Amino acid sequence: MKMIFLFSLLFVSQVDARSTFLDSVKRMTWGDLDVVWVEDEKFPRFTAALYLEDGALKDQSPGITQATFDQFTAGTSKETQRQLAEFFDFYGVNLKNSVTHEYSVMTVQGLTRDIAPVMGKFCEIWKDAQYPTGELNSYISRSKSQLKNLVTSHSSLADRVFRKISLEGTPYVSPVEGSLAGYDQLNSEILKKRLSELRVARKVLYLAGPKDVLAMKDVIAGCGWVAGKKMAPLELKKPGLQSAIYLVPVPGANQAQIRIGRYVTKREVEGKYDQFQFLSSYLGGSFTSKLVQELRVKRGLTYSAGAYVSVQRDYGRAGITTFSKTETTAEAISIISDVFNEVSQGGVTPEEFKHQQGHMIGGYAFGFEETSAFIGQLMLYDHQARPLTELADFPDHIARLKANDLSRANLEVFPWEKQTIVVVGDKSLEKSLSKIRPVRILDYKDFL
Amino acid sequence: MRFVFFLIFILVAGCSSPDKKNKSPSTLSESIQLEVEELKLANGMTALIVPNHKLPIFSLYLFYKVGGKNEVKGITGASHFLEHMMFKGAKRYGQNKIDFLIEGSGGSTNAYTTNDQTVYYENLPTTELATILDVESDRMENLLLDPDAFEKERQVVLEERKMRYENSPRGQLYLELMQTVFKGTPYGTSVIGDIPDLKSVSRDQIQAYFKRFYAPNNLTLVLVGDVDSAKAKAILTEKFGPIAASPTVKEAHESLKDEAFTPKLTSDIVVAKKGESPAPLFMLAYPTVKAGHEKGYALDVLSSILGSGKSSSLNNQYILIAKPMATSMYAAHQQLEKAGFFFIGGELVRGVKIDEFRKDLMARMKNFCATEVTERSIQKIKNNYLVDLYSGLDSNAGLAQFLGERELLFGDWKKYRQELELYEKVTVDDVKNVCAEITSSKSVFVSVWNKHK
Repeated sequence: MKMIFLFSLLFVSQVDARSTFLDSVKRMTWGDLDVVWVEDEKFPRFTAALYLEDGALKDQSPGITQATFDQFTAGTSKETQRQLAEFFDFYGVNLKNSVTHEYSVMTVQGLTRDIAPVMGKFCEIWKDAQYPTGELNSYISRSKSQLKNLVTSHSSLADRVFRKISLEGTPYVSPVEGSLAGYDQLNSEILKKRLSELRVARKVLYLAGPKDVLAMKDVIAGCGWVAGKKMAPLELKKPGLQSAIYLVPVPGANQAQIRIGRYVTKREVEGKYDQFQFLSSYLGGSFTSKLVQELRVKRGLTYSAGAYVSVQRDYGRAGITTFSKTETTAEAISIISDVFNEVSQGGVTPEEFKHQQGHMIGGYAFGFEETSAFIGQLMLYDHQARPLTELADFPDHIARLKANDLSRANLEVFPWEKQTIVVVGDKSLEKSLSKIRPVRILDYKDFL
Repeated sequence: MRFVFFLIFILVAGCSSPDKKNKSPSTLSESIQLEVEELKLANGMTALIVPNHKLPIFSLYLFYKVGGKNEVKGITGASHFLEHMMFKGAKRYGQNKIDFLIEGSGGSTNAYTTNDQTVYYENLPTTELATILDVESDRMENLLLDPDAFEKERQVVLEERKMRYENSPRGQLYLELMQTVFKGTPYGTSVIGDIPDLKSVSRDQIQAYFKRFYAPNNLTLVLVGDVDSAKAKAILTEKFGPIAASPTVKEAHESLKDEAFTPKLTSDIVVAKKGESPAPLFMLAYPTVKAGHEKGYALDVLSSILGSGKSSSLNNQYILIAKPMATSMYAAHQQLEKAGFFFIGGELVRGVKIDEFRKDLMARMKNFCATEVTERSIQKIKNNYLVDLYSGLDSNAGLAQFLGERELLFGDWKKYRQELELYEKVTVDDVKNVCAEITSSKSVFVSVWNKHK
């Protein structure tokens, strides 16, 4: 009874949150540019995030789109990289970019009093970025050195190898951030050409801040931003079955990084985003999630375990991320397999299910607390062509789910025999891992 | 930290009243006005409350004044181990109940341990205020320290240590630096603990440590969010008021004299440590001043001039050049309660010789004082601090952390006003003077590289 009362209280308070925040989203058109403004009077600062429906899928060799954004401020026909860096830093501006395979985002954050000079300069660069050879060569040299040093971060290395193995045979296999071979292909002309393609990509400008941000309309008129063309959706096949365990030996490892998961297609997740979000939250991440309880709390095998079902528009990936000491790596993998089987076979207890519902419904309001995070959420919904009412109705969707929805979602995404397993650790792991599946040894250098 | 253990760099982050509609300020000191309600209980506990009714959520932060500096040989890592055990159950909220209670209502929780403090935090829906204050008072008064859970958690902590240090060249670098700069002082150990101590520390030792430091007179509690202050104060008084103060905690703090934390460098020290990094990683450090010292503000500005942003001095001289020597570089001024140090660090491009780089960097450091500190560079940093001020306070949690750190370190959350004024007043001469002072003092240079023997 107490639980039901608590659940009702949580539900009511979250409904209040969504009405407050969804009302703050205003959609408008400036010229033919779509603009989404999230009104936020908290501080005299702004966020302008330019969404471009164009990403690393178009890269002829890995890293071109990423380099186009990374080197965006490397120089124009009038100003050098140092001058541009000094300009933005002087105003305390935070310039960021985020590239995915399907879309890219350039974000500018600063004080509202500085909108005119800052966005004016941004527009100048947008029209006149030159990608000078000297600056680009320096960038290539640094990027290659950093990538060669990736072996110092076993976790990042495991992510990179897992991506390649699990996405082999799809257009998403190429690493967004680039590769050693890809860096050798970069030159000024390629980056200028790529920027010219991005200029005509479909765009939406997401703004956050007080009413002062609307003054940006006149400033960015000089950017020449047009709405751009929409990309046709891709119809993708799943990659072939990967039934081995891929072991990547690294020197001096006394722990092993474990990645288990697979590629998912749009068709598999469409209309079921909330179920899969529910599933990944149930499996990993929080302290009370199933895998953290089984691996860490009950057995002390790891420090953390995460799960995700992450989807862009036309593709996604589902996976488990954890690590364990060398001696217990095989045991940790076996336990993950047992958990998958248990959940798929309806082994979720009513208490576990209710707990997870409370976790997600009660946590709903936190997604609105920081405007920049809220903008990211809006952008993803727009990219996936999902109506905002889905975000508004999220608590209701979660409240309507049944335990067998969770089992079905797990069965669909995490059937054990279809999971790709990557382990980065000591080479002695081969013996224990071979008892689970055949082991293929890979050289990490082949993934740089 | 139970999932993510990190060190707090006590630079200014800034603050603002979330309910205020701010007009663009022209200076740092005009940028914010905080309205904080205070509650002081008879047992010595301090609580700070900031209502913010924008969303039906709140953040609760508990700052216990206990950390690595309070440990002695044999129990290094006790503060951090105890941080883990605080989630393993108390009398009213038994084993494994606390996480389920918090997460089951949509909340999140975690904690972190530093050299000076252990901080617990929860972000929760409004409906959970009374419950979480009951949980916090229960575990302060009646922690279980169940023997089975204690042994399992020992393994988790050992794995965390491997992840942070043994398996991480960057972790090795930082640990080596702290152990060298603060050799022979309580800051010269790892917060997570030495492996022999972690393997041998007993439940009884942790219990005694807990009894001494986990008490209302060693706690600052900060509550920010959708709360009614009068109601919150009443609950706080009811839950925490009856808990007895620790009779020995004051003595424990008073026994730690500042002099015992002062680095004792008599010459420049260079440490070359073998680690699994194909590119050399390095840190260069100079001992400085403890938190709150007036020079600290000029040192903060200096570190930002050298290492913050794409236009920083280190970026211009070592990274954004035709043949870059480094792939990343940073600078910061870390101020702890009893001492501080200024440091520069980074990752070199493969092929760059570490000894040659070190000599080059040491030589340039002296030039930096003359060439890089200008009116414009200082104004740039002040502009950046203003932006950081807002970013740091975008959430209830950010504001709670900001207030709690100042209350814990300085005994007064209002110290931020003075801090902002001090940053505002920093001049070219101030920065040049501290720059000259540190570059003529003894330094520690540590590198980790797989080519070191």
